[in-house]
Amino acid sequence: MAYKRGTKAIPYLILGFVAAPFLIMYVGFFLRAFGEKMVLGIIPAQWGIYNFRFLWQPITWGLEQTTMWTAFGNTMFFATLSGFIVTVICMLAGYALSRVEFRGRSFFLILQLVLHAVPGQILLIAVFFLLLYIGLLHRIPGVALARAALEIPLGVWMAKGFFDGIPWDVERAAMVDGCTRLQVWYKIFLPLVKPGIAAVFIWGFLFAWHDFIYVYTLLPGTIKVMATLIQSLLATEVIDYGYLAALSLIYSIPPLSLFIFLQRALLKVPIFGGKGT
Amino acid sequence: MKVFLDRLSKYFGQVKAVDNLTLAIEDGEFVALLGPSGCGKTTTLLTIAGFYKPTAGFVLFDDKVVNELPPRERNIGMVFQSYALYPHMSVLDNITFPLRLKKVSRKERETKAKALASLLRIEDILERKPAEISGGQQQRVALARALIKEPGLLLLDEPLSNLDAKLRVTMRAEIKRLQKDLGITTILVTHDQVEAMTMADRIAVLETGKLQQVGPPEELYNSPANLFVAGFIGTPPMNFLAATLEKREGKFFITTERFCLPLPDSVTMKICQIPTPHDVIVGIRPENISIGQGEIRGEIYVVEPLGRDTLVSLHIGTEIIKVIAPPTFRASPGEQVQLTFSEEKVHLFDKETGKSLLV
Ligand SMILES: Nc1ncnc2c1ncn2[C@@H]1O[C@H](COP(=O)(O)OP(=O)(O)O)[C@@H](O)[C@H]1O
Ligand SMILES: [Mg+2]
Repeated sequence: MAYKRGTKAIPYLILGFVAAPFLIMYVGFFLRAFGEKMVLGIIPAQWGIYNFRFLWQPITWGLEQTTMWTAFGNTMFFATLSGFIVTVICMLAGYALSRVEFRGRSFFLILQLVLHAVPGQILLIAVFFLLLYIGLLHRIPGVALARAALEIPLGVWMAKGFFDGIPWDVERAAMVDGCTRLQVWYKIFLPLVKPGIAAVFIWGFLFAWHDFIYVYTLLPGTIKVMATLIQSLLATEVIDYGYLAALSLIYSIPPLSLFIFLQRALLKVPIFGGKGT
Repeated sequence: MKVFLDRLSKYFGQVKAVDNLTLAIEDGEFVALLGPSGCGKTTTLLTIAGFYKPTAGFVLFDDKVVNELPPRERNIGMVFQSYALYPHMSVLDNITFPLRLKKVSRKERETKAKALASLLRIEDILERKPAEISGGQQQRVALARALIKEPGLLLLDEPLSNLDAKLRVTMRAEIKRLQKDLGITTILVTHDQVEAMTMADRIAVLETGKLQQVGPPEELYNSPANLFVAGFIGTPPMNFLAATLEKREGKFFITTERFCLPLPDSVTMKICQIPTPHDVIVGIRPENISIGQGEIRGEIYVVEPLGRDTLVSLHIGTEIIKVIAPPTFRASPGEQVQLTFSEEKVHLFDKETGKSLLV
């Protein structure tokens, strides 16, 4: 018995050891955000929300200034738009790839995987010129479009997977009942893959929310999103770590809440019973 | 609506799922497509519905070619083997869905749905979701959904195969009655010959994509066109014995090592052109053999009382045949018995081609 308990503990020990650095980092992060007058650099002498003063004061660095709310709003707009574009395109393409026979279908599917393997950074210059030519450079919608394009390949596969789970007979029944293909899509398929829609949207949203390199390169310095704002503050001479920690905490709230939502949504993806032919 | 399948073929690569099928279905007729699993029944149905384009041949509705018409414009109702109800809609919404697409007013939709629901006895479950009702109810809902737009043609793909045995017998009768009441042209796909026999006006037997025979149930039962149909229709199935057709002094006989059976005039008339001797397969149904006396000797193998009658298996030489005996029949295994075949009920098939020599 004792022997058994001993062996059972080993995985936990290893896992705990691996997780410890991250845990310490997160604890430090919270201590920083809510602590004031740090002793020895890490132990807070006093708790408070002074570090969160950007919530009601403008943020300044060098000669520039903005507010947290502007940057937060920009990020929200950017990520939502990007998520929306990913969702619409993936839901349409996923349906077509799941249900419509056309030439080059499997080639297209493999192409999506290959495209996904290409790192977004190496496309930056091309994207830069593309946006320049279509007049969307330095604008959030343009960058959102570019950012969405990076997530679409895998998103299409995700969406196809959701649609693949719907039996053919359901689609055929809808077509006999009088649906056009597009009607089948939005009257039958979309309601059935609702959790899948949420998953794809969150997917697109999260990657845009976390993005740094695209917004840094393709947006002018005057349009700040959270990622570039934090970077600017890091690039000043005196770094206020408490302030940065508080700002980062606010930055991570939306993705964190979405992650919780994502888990639920993914668990709810419908599973069909019944015999097919 | 009249349906005519004109030399219809549907291939999937090398697989000839439907092969040169010609079949005419009258307005208001109930036709069953019968055959073993994988013989192309579903493919035929999906081609009629417009989901598959024929590889060759034509589908005609009321004498008009509809090959290019999409399913939604064919005015058909369909019930799928899996019922394929929309899981996210209530039963009522499922039933009225075809009318909602046609922009029929809410009031009219609900009146029609209520009428159908009471006809199919599902009034009490209209508010529920498909997952919350039983298989039998799901099937009625699927029927109601198929019927609500008053289609010209009703297609049923193995509609009873997911029900338990008792419910199947009930639904069999109900669907048949409903079809007669509504007078709607109906094509039923099934692998169950009892289902086809009991429900349909005419049965089309398919094997490996080819039409074997089409006709009313009694015709298929009494004059099967070939060995496949003979063996497929009827339970327990027809007995088959290899034999030789011979002619002696102007009379025809079938002879085996064990017995020699003279054929009656009614049979002789149909085979007088055949050169003799000729290798044949003799077919005789279990109910057309009687145990007691006769030229043919057999040995009891097993006796299975079924209540209404008794199923007896016995050896004639090395072959086993089945006989339906009266419920009072008693015998023990190994016992020697004498048999009579009702000569008028004997079927003869060409050994080479499997075709019946009597039709
Ligand atoms: N979509 C398809 N692609 C390729 N082969 C198919 C397809 N559908 C059916 N088949 C083949 O066609 C034959 C007939 O199938 P089906 O019509 O489903 O038979 P049944 O309904 O009589 O059981 C089978 O051999 C099956 O494997
Ligand atoms: Mg089938």
